[in-house]
Amino acid sequence: MEALTALFAGFETALTPLNLLWALVGVTLGTLVGVLPGIGPALTVALLLPVTAKLPPVSAFIMFAGIYYGGMFGGSTTSILLNTPGESSSIITALEGNKMARRGRAAAALATAAIGSFVAGTIGTMLLTFAAPAIAEIAVQIPPSAKFALIMLAFVTISATFGGSPLRGLVSLFLGLAVGLIGTDLQSGQARFTLGRPELLDGIDFITVVIGLFAIGETLYVASRLRRDRASVIKLEGNASMTRQDWRRSWKPWLRGTALGFPFGAIPAGGAEIPTFLSYTLEKRLSKHPEEFGKGAIEGVAGPEAANNAAAAGVLVPLLTLGLPTSATAAILLAAFQQYGLQPGPLLFVTNADLVWGLIASLYIGNVMLLALNLPLAPIWARLLLIPRPFLYAGILVFSTVGVYSLNNSVFDLILLALFGVIGYGMRRFDFPVTPAIIGVILGPTAESQFRTALQQSNGDFGIFARQPLTAFILVVVALALILPPILRARAARRA
Amino acid sequence: MQDVPPSVSNDVSPVTGRRGVSVPDLLVALGVTVLGVLLLIGTLQIPFGINAVVGPRVFPLIVSVGMTVLGALLTVNALRGERAEPAAEEDTDPNAPVNLGAAGIILGGFLLGAVLLPSLGFVLGTALMYFAVAYAFGERRWGLMVVVALVVALVTYEVFTRGLGLTLPPGVLRGII
Repeated sequence: MEALTALFAGFETALTPLNLLWALVGVTLGTLVGVLPGIGPALTVALLLPVTAKLPPVSAFIMFAGIYYGGMFGGSTTSILLNTPGESSSIITALEGNKMARRGRAAAALATAAIGSFVAGTIGTMLLTFAAPAIAEIAVQIPPSAKFALIMLAFVTISATFGGSPLRGLVSLFLGLAVGLIGTDLQSGQARFTLGRPELLDGIDFITVVIGLFAIGETLYVASRLRRDRASVIKLEGNASMTRQDWRRSWKPWLRGTALGFPFGAIPAGGAEIPTFLSYTLEKRLSKHPEEFGKGAIEGVAGPEAANNAAAAGVLVPLLTLGLPTSATAAILLAAFQQYGLQPGPLLFVTNADLVWGLIASLYIGNVMLLALNLPLAPIWARLLLIPRPFLYAGILVFSTVGVYSLNNSVFDLILLALFGVIGYGMRRFDFPVTPAIIGVILGPTAESQFRTALQQSNGDFGIFARQPLTAFILVVVALALILPPILRARAARRA
Repeated sequence: MQDVPPSVSNDVSPVTGRRGVSVPDLLVALGVTVLGVLLLIGTLQIPFGINAVVGPRVFPLIVSVGMTVLGALLTVNALRGERAEPAAEEDTDPNAPVNLGAAGIILGGFLLGAVLLPSLGFVLGTALMYFAVAYAFGERRWGLMVVVALVVALVTYEVFTRGLGLTLPPGVLRGII
């Protein structure tokens, strides 16, 4: 009940006319940028960060909440009409939804994705409302050594699950960790890896890394192997809408997808890929029309899309209660918190209750706004897909420049941006996933600080990592996650 | 950097390693290893912290040793014939001939615009970048490109400086915009 009281206070914050306006601006911009091909939710949030630069924290985070959910909604439109997933958790939507659209059922595919996202987002936000304060209460008691172990768990699962090869994922993670080391060490004041440049004493801003790796890297890569024939965008006649039969076939997958997505998003080692794939498999097994799967089955859009959005709400649980981001988008939200001098974690619910609850309340509001924005306006969003590629990518580059240049008004930052763009190109060309690097940059310094705090409390005794039961348990899981897959693969290869 | 069209590598499975060693892949793997070693050298130059149980060196040491080991593993894999599949992206064609020139034009245009940005101003600097990208993506309607580049740069400038209160340099257009 305490959560309800707090939530009502949050609605009081979020429902002021000005904050409602920021929420509306957030969902509109989030959808607008999220629809554009080549821009996933993570980059959407990063690109739109400067827009919030002059806002007070509460309004800024209310707007972020809108951008976050809006980016997810926009991504499904692109997947369905253009067959191009902006992130790995939209692959299924692209697979099944685009087939539906090709059979002339684009309106139904868009509607089941939007309504399913709304249902999953709302239920997910409700679960977040009640789970987060309870977990925050427990999380206060987690010692630094176990927090360090939790971060290791997030590192390993994110590196191993993104992209095909765990080795490449780990290289990407370590690249991010190395970038995170640059700057002044906060505990001793020592400059590290600054190469004598005063600009590097403050470290490299994560926005430069994120926009460089995602936006500039993408632009360079697409230019290098551009699709000359125009990708076929499916025409959408009228609004996104569903028939009675579509509803009957959709509502159960929505609920099942939500049930799968939220817990996977909420555990520190989660993410949205696994539950979307699980939901797809489950719906295929339960469906009365299994023969339609792969050719455009509505259940195959409804379930995974709900799972995806429920996971997006779930991801906020470890982010808000432990300060632990488990997706690239969450990592950017975490960094945005840090820019305002706020450290997400159990104490945030005590020290910044109005902000946290205003944010949670605005998730409910944003969800309603997105539904209202997406069903009737679907044809307008669809038209964004027709922007000629030269003008689209040139625009992305200009926006990237604003985001990075406005940090310090420094050309040095733009040179760094270009450098990370080249690295981003190389990562795409040589199949290194980008997300682990982002998580490494943002979470690396936190990992180091927890590691050192733990050792200071134990007077330098490394045994703390083995004796603290929770820490030891998580570290064993981390070791198994690293060691088991290669062994299993080797055994499978020997048998084959 | 020389590049291999992915269509060549599609027919052979990456696990069996029956193909020759891919030079670009090997160079990347060696690059990661060298980066790890450079980090290690940099780590050894960090002074020990005073009064700290764990100094500022420990974590960089873990990262640099880890990077070196991962680079070595990548190198071993590359020598055994493993090669990376270039990512399939939204607007890319995996079978298109690789056009590094286009990427070079974008990079050059961006760096030129960035260096000139404080003196020319934000609008002309980013318009230059915009033009370079549009050109690299194959647009050849010159007049349209110039107009769109200027309009996008100007609108962006106005929205961010007037609407959102950011400071961006006006440059030579000071007093005009």
